[in-house]
Amino acid sequence: MEETALVIVSGFPLALDRRYQAETHMWVLDTGPGRVRIGMDPLGIETSGTLAQLSFLPTGTELTAGRPFGQLEAAKFVGPLLSPVSGAMLAVNDAVARDPGLAERDPYGAGWLIEASVSETAGELSGLLAEPAEITAWFAARIAHYRLNGLLAQ
Amino acid sequence: MVEPLRVVDSGLSSPLRSQTLWHAIAYGVSAGGRATLSFCRPAEPYVCLGYHRGIDEVDRDYCRENGLPLLRRMVGGGPVYLDSDQLFFQICLPARAVPAARRQALRVLLEPVVTAFRAVGVPAALDDDLEICLDDRKICGHGAGQIEDAVVVCGNLIQRFDHERAARVLALADPAQRDQTLALMHRFVAATPLDPAAFQAAMISAYATALGLGAQGGALTGTERTVLEGLDERFTSDTWLAGPVRPATARAGRPSARQVKVRAGVWTLGATYDGAQVAAGVVRGTVEKVRLHDRGLNGSTEQAEEALQGIPLHSVARVLTGFGDPGRRLAAAFATADPGRL
Repeated sequence: MEETALVIVSGFPLALDRRYQAETHMWVLDTGPGRVRIGMDPLGIETSGTLAQLSFLPTGTELTAGRPFGQLEAAKFVGPLLSPVSGAMLAVNDAVARDPGLAERDPYGAGWLIEASVSETAGELSGLLAEPAEITAWFAARIAHYRLNGLLAQ
Repeated sequence: MVEPLRVVDSGLSSPLRSQTLWHAIAYGVSAGGRATLSFCRPAEPYVCLGYHRGIDEVDRDYCRENGLPLLRRMVGGGPVYLDSDQLFFQICLPARAVPAARRQALRVLLEPVVTAFRAVGVPAALDDDLEICLDDRKICGHGAGQIEDAVVVCGNLIQRFDHERAARVLALADPAQRDQTLALMHRFVAATPLDPAAFQAAMISAYATALGLGAQGGALTGTERTVLEGLDERFTSDTWLAGPVRPATARAGRPSARQVKVRAGVWTLGATYDGAQVAAGVVRGTVEKVRLHDRGLNGSTEQAEEALQGIPLHSVARVLTGFGDPGRRLAAAFATADPGRL
């Protein structure tokens, strides 16, 4: 994969070549016709605490937007990784499951979580943030919100 | 009208039910049930694994020989020894009622426990690692998770703590690591021998106040009872006990390591690499006690152990390079330490 071009927003890297789901901090990157790669942005990771464990449902599992494709454990809290799209799990990133720190060190690159086929009829991709300006504005607003609530260092 | 906090006290329960009861409540809350504070106490001792942790972290032979069942929970944390000297509590809320950021959610849901401890005369504090402590000793274990659309935080009032058994049930290849783990447990994990009824009353009051709700005694609903039976079956299945599918971590020629967290910032490491063997106790980034073995150290073992004692973990490799090839092998074993993932 090519190296991702990043912009820095209030101290946090942001990739503008992909879509984002605002609530879950999941990013969705087109990797081919009907195929996407999914990961978590640095704000989602930072506000979870140090990632201790990641586990994923088996490849081939049907994905439903808003339902889990795996589990994340941080600060002894096990919670679902929610899929931003419907489709099917094509691949999981074994490297990040072995070493969750990879998602912290390289959230937009080697720290990707899963690859999926997407259901074209669901139209969920169009509901994600896609325009660089809106992504940047959303990201900056979330950083401000998390800082205000003491979840990110100033 | 806002529904009151449901309080479910299941009393003395079998090891299995001391887990499945509150998981059933979580499914009930997820399906639209009321916020619930629940209590139970295991009638018999057992060992419980956090959702992601490997079954190989527990000495299964010891558990079998000593009649200790092994169960896996759906919340986080490591393998723990549990017995009837521990009063379990669980607070369970709809996920929408809890801050989405996990650390914030944990803080909000653990602060009432601190309030309850203080109400019964224990000056507990919630530290920056979100552990409930008395001075520098942890006095309450906790784990948390989202089960479908409910968030549950569970913990325990430890009236007495069997440090020896808590260390013994762990699968540790190196006896030196077990000794170090036990010593650190004695130092950093403490019981609070309180009147459980007073603590329970204080917990109910603290959570009701924090959530702005009244409190009302209750029981499992019919639906939760049905779920409970299914959970009894699931939790005793080999598939569930095996845990989620994980990629293999050990690779030929790479160091192998076993870490045990005693409390946040306090842990032990047992690691081997190419014949070098390390057992170390680390307290807040400083190596406190270390036992080394490498065929090439000859008469320098004690000197190397002394050189490491009291130094920051990040300086270990630098110090060990002074001991040539054996030092480099030991440094490689040490480099497996990854306390952030515990």
